[in-house]
Amino acid sequence: MSKKVVVPGELISSERKKLGGNVYVANGKIYSKVLGVSDTEGDSASVVPLEGKYSPKVDDVILGVVTRVVFAGYGINLNAATESFISTKAMRDQLRVGDVIMAKVESVDELKEADLMFPRRLIGGDVMEIVPVRSPRLIGKNGSMLELLRQGTGCELVVGKNGRIWARNGNIELLRKMVAFIEDNAYKSNLTNAVQDYFGIKLPEKNMPMRNAQENEVMQEESEVIDYSNEGESHE
Amino acid sequence: MRSTVLEYDISKVVELARNGKRVDGRALDEMRDFSVVKNKFKNAEGSAIVKLGDTEVMGGIKVLVDKPYPDSPDEGAISVGAELLPLAHGDYEFGPPSMDEIEVARVVDRGLRESKAIDFAQLCVKEGEAVRVAFFDFYAINSDGNLFDAGSIAALASFMDAKLPKLDEKFKVIKHEYDGKIQLKRLPLLTTFVKVGGKIMVDPTYIEEKAAEARFSVATTDDGYMSAMQKGMGGSFTLEEVNYMIETGFKVAGEVRKKLQKM
Amino acid sequence: MSKEMKEEVPDYKKSKKRLDGRKMEELRPLSIKVGVIPNADGSAYLEWGQNKVYAAVYGPREALPKHTQNPYKAVIKAVYRMAGFSVPDRKRPGPNRRDHEISKVLSEALDKVVFTEQFPNTEISVIVEVADSNAGSRVACLSAAACALADAGIPMKDLVSAVGVGKAFNEIVLDLNKDEEDAPDAVDVPFAIMPNSEEIVLLQMDGLLTPKEWEAVSKLGLAGCKQVYEVQKKALTERFQIKELTKADVAKEVSNGVEEKKESKKEVKEVKEEKKDDKKGKEDKSKKVRK
Repeated sequence: MSKKVVVPGELISSERKKLGGNVYVANGKIYSKVLGVSDTEGDSASVVPLEGKYSPKVDDVILGVVTRVVFAGYGINLNAATESFISTKAMRDQLRVGDVIMAKVESVDELKEADLMFPRRLIGGDVMEIVPVRSPRLIGKNGSMLELLRQGTGCELVVGKNGRIWARNGNIELLRKMVAFIEDNAYKSNLTNAVQDYFGIKLPEKNMPMRNAQENEVMQEESEVIDYSNEGESHE
Repeated sequence: MRSTVLEYDISKVVELARNGKRVDGRALDEMRDFSVVKNKFKNAEGSAIVKLGDTEVMGGIKVLVDKPYPDSPDEGAISVGAELLPLAHGDYEFGPPSMDEIEVARVVDRGLRESKAIDFAQLCVKEGEAVRVAFFDFYAINSDGNLFDAGSIAALASFMDAKLPKLDEKFKVIKHEYDGKIQLKRLPLLTTFVKVGGKIMVDPTYIEEKAAEARFSVATTDDGYMSAMQKGMGGSFTLEEVNYMIETGFKVAGEVRKKLQKM
Repeated sequence: MSKEMKEEVPDYKKSKKRLDGRKMEELRPLSIKVGVIPNADGSAYLEWGQNKVYAAVYGPREALPKHTQNPYKAVIKAVYRMAGFSVPDRKRPGPNRRDHEISKVLSEALDKVVFTEQFPNTEISVIVEVADSNAGSRVACLSAAACALADAGIPMKDLVSAVGVGKAFNEIVLDLNKDEEDAPDAVDVPFAIMPNSEEIVLLQMDGLLTPKEWEAVSKLGLAGCKQVYEVQKKALTERFQIKELTKADVAKEVSNGVEEKKESKKEVKEVKEEKKDDKKGKEDKSKKVRK
């Protein structure tokens, strides 16, 4: 069956299949749990959600916003069901409400709260947001969409799995429009190719390693990319 | 889904303001685009759904009959209520009226009442026995700031076309029958400003309100009067700033009124 | 409450037609628009006959006050309110007992359907506000709330589809309007199901029925809910058209934004579209059901 937009409780398959994401079984049949696009090709059945908040997973790179400052640390909004918390000791500099940080999810507890590691403040630049569940399309298979956006706009980019993108320099306005386009059309097919054609960029073949530069940067204690504090403008 | 990042980035709003700029690119004295849908709610005697940028409010009038106040036996009355429904923002809660709710209701009320726009004598049914009371209630559906002006536009639009229910000999409302409209003597509108980063800007969005040091609303009428003022929040204004806001209020409200009359 | 009755009480069995011209098993016009409140995680606006309701969902989010948290699942908090001008006799501000009762049955109906175990310690806040009413506001609110939950991406076993069914003027009828609710023999049964399994999640009744009549009422209720389900499904899915994209689509989108000086192209598009809609009148983009 080709892709179909489905609502919660809608029948996806009456056959026996491997269960992918966002589906459940009842009476031997497979149903969707969410509003999304069903995929029953091959031997598995799953639904890609169209709406929804971010669900933290270990090792995800995320962009968070500081929502409150207390003596012990900072409340961080991830566009997830619950906020995370970073202790003051984990940061080199002090943070203020509204600051944007990038970090990696270290662990997720049984209450779905994420513990963050390697937090780094992002200075200057612009942050854009899309519906969190559509963020995989911003990254693309093997980071292909990310690379297209980098080359096509000339921006420095950091993309979080929770639907936020931080960008500096380059054609920010064009990036904004591209991000809006990707968000609106995330569920349609041929998205990456259409963007590739538009920019006229040729990407290397499929086995391109995920040039998720920011992941490597997060891992390192000292790196030129992280040391923003000496360059550019601060928030105010 | 709303951009949560911007909600917290108050310093960005302040920095832009210091340079005379705003997040959405508007000029400091520019109001957002607005739209009004009138009389959609059939149980109301007059109603309006107002969208001011992303801020959306709905307001409606119910005209009741009651005994007049002893000191004004030949005058009807109006009453304005407001609710910041939790529909409209994740920070709003149900419960007893909050300070913000009460203030917004009273300021919209003041703009309307003190302008003497509504002829209370027209609302008299029988002197000493029965007068009409027009209850205007408005509700926030989505809040992106400036519920004052959105509420004021909803009030004016609702009253501009408000029908009077027909009454029987015992002064009870006869359902589904109407007898005339409420006459407005003038058309008051609120214009609200905030001071951000030392600069005055009109029609603040939610984050501009959060970033503001002070707020000011003035009600102006089509025939050149000011009918209400309210300074809100902490902070302060110079007299020059207040005069600028009053002058700009006349201009901006005039443009809103012109557009409203065409809708 | 004064009844606007003609001298002669109608008899639907004889006339075979209802006061407003509908067939016995026919719904009033129903239309739903999803995603109408930008701040909310999910939202819907629903018109059903004269009824007009807004529904918004915020969540899952931290449950506050803390003592309402449940470490095993999300807590569904539905709140039902009516605007002062939504009823013929102005409703005074503040919830009354009816508001609290309806809030409770709505919360319970939705709790059954949401996969609450996926979000421990959180709350899912569902707010429904009635802007205009004419019988059946609670089933309108429940149907709108289900759409808002789906729009928020919240996992559910099914939607919830609700309808009012019962008896008026000597006949079993679907979707009673106010005149029918005021009939001397009126029976009003708000009825809500999970449409795929037909499990009943809300059921109330006011009036006198024989068990035989109940059989006919329940059957009609099920059929009515299924009609509502079709409208809900359409409202949720019609915004998404699966197609294959080309670079022309990208170019169109990018050049659209160039003329606008505002930051978000979407924001302006919505305001402009609203203006267009307002000029056209009360035309809704969503489906209307007329059987």
